[in-house]
Amino acid sequence: MTDLALPLKAEDAPPDHDRLVLAGLLSLPTLFLVTLCLIPLFLLLQLSFAHRGTGGLWSPGLELTQYAQLLTPQFLKVALFSFSLALTTAVISVALAFPVAYFISRMKRRAQIAWLVGLLSTLSLSEVLIVFSFQVLLSGSGGLVKALVALGVMASPHSLYPNFAAVMVCLVYLVLPYIILFLYPAMSQLDDDIPAAATTMGASPARAFLTVVAPMVKGPLLSAGLLVVIFTVGSYLTPLVLGRPQQWTVGIIISNAAMTTGNMPLAAAQAVALVSLMAGLLGLVRLLTKGGSPAS
Amino acid sequence: MNGGLLSTLLRRGFLALVAAFIAAPLVVVIGVSFNETRRMSFPPTALSLKWYRAFFADAAWMKSLETSLSISVLAAFIAVAVALPIAYAVWRYNSKAAKALAGVGSGLFLLPGVVTALMFSAFWGVVGHVGRIENVVLSHAVILLGIPVAMLSVGFQSIERALIEAAQTMGAGDAEAFRMVVRPAMTPYILCALVYVFVLSLNEYLIAYMVAGFSVQTLPIRIFTSLRSGYEPTMCVGAVIFMALGFSAFSLLAAIGDLPKLMGRHRPLEA
Repeated sequence: MTDLALPLKAEDAPPDHDRLVLAGLLSLPTLFLVTLCLIPLFLLLQLSFAHRGTGGLWSPGLELTQYAQLLTPQFLKVALFSFSLALTTAVISVALAFPVAYFISRMKRRAQIAWLVGLLSTLSLSEVLIVFSFQVLLSGSGGLVKALVALGVMASPHSLYPNFAAVMVCLVYLVLPYIILFLYPAMSQLDDDIPAAATTMGASPARAFLTVVAPMVKGPLLSAGLLVVIFTVGSYLTPLVLGRPQQWTVGIIISNAAMTTGNMPLAAAQAVALVSLMAGLLGLVRLLTKGGSPAS
Repeated sequence: MNGGLLSTLLRRGFLALVAAFIAAPLVVVIGVSFNETRRMSFPPTALSLKWYRAFFADAAWMKSLETSLSISVLAAFIAVAVALPIAYAVWRYNSKAAKALAGVGSGLFLLPGVVTALMFSAFWGVVGHVGRIENVVLSHAVILLGIPVAMLSVGFQSIERALIEAAQTMGAGDAEAFRMVVRPAMTPYILCALVYVFVLSLNEYLIAYMVAGFSVQTLPIRIFTSLRSGYEPTMCVGAVIFMALGFSAFSLLAAIGDLPKLMGRHRPLEA
């Protein structure tokens, strides 16, 4: 009989019985992931080098035609825009989510549960719906515009979208609950004694928060920012509906190439380029933080 | 203490603003769904339930609702069923193969939606199985696999080894210890993972659209199509139904499980 209480070490050669159990446990998940993840990923890569035929058809090949098409100023501009949009969203949403997560983790139990249920419920809203409600909220006949005109902030009622700010606000809205929930465990693990000591020694609570609490959670904050970049760099619906064509992202370009133009190989090459750029960014951040902070 | 009062006020004000920001779109959608007029305007001018009647009388909307619900329920069960043996093998056997599978699952979740949508659209095209509902179910189950893997791993790690040892000292065998300790400890995490995948699949638009959008009309696809082709108030009813579904699913979770702990809080909280 094996001992359930003791975790086995990887270097221990598992007894035959365990090996059999393990094979039984993992055979279906392996089959599932190979068929539905590794094979499709390989196909995508193959597709990006494929030879493009007529009428949306393609045949396997080893052509760089698609990649050559990426080196146009137009695509590079869109890629650059997508990354700067994602980085701006990351900075704003983490700056907002950090204090919110901290305050929630300090609340009474009932209040915490209410906030958690509220945040989780907004996750249950489709991006389609959120984009739509921002359209209503920002439209010329919406309550916000009416209120702004009544207050004299706006001279005459006009729609507050499409523009960059509308895209930005909506993207921050979309990622905010995820980031608060992502930071919540780290915040609830924080010790209260250290910021308390700082305030006793004369620092204001805001100062204690920024100079004592923030450095303690540098790692989670950085990961949260990276997550936002990853989630928003491929954004599609929000810039499509709330932005002008100048605010179109790689996500829209890829989807247009695949669905509108029917140029699947080009879409695949754009997708591969996007993922490579993301991986490059992640590697860069890793490299930069390696020397600086042992905590992360 | 003047500074203390000021900082409390500032904190309350900041939290109230964030709560208002988070609630704003929900309030707008609910408001518009009860609006009497056909025009898209907020705040509503006169209240009416007529769009709700129209929604439930419309066969096409009901069909979309049914399609969406079946896709999400199936995707949730498949994803959790695949994640459970992986997370268990990592915890119990420290298996390298299981860790690799968990890594592949989470890595896929981090890819942009448009990339995975394109990938699956190409895959189902090559397989020659186009525009079917099961394509969406399987694609969602794979994409969202990272969530149950992460949640169930947290769950397994929270199980006290001491409890299992105690059960074994009292003469329980492997199977019995599993039934007495592991299963009850894991139930809330499994439910939480199911709810999460269900809700995310229910709302996913791009993959569903690119994989089978022409023949399978999920609720988000239908809402987006009607959004593009001109506004109709019934879509807001669909939206409100979505919110109600998500809100009740997570409230249920809060009622049956320890939500702060499920969300990763390890320190106990005073009531």
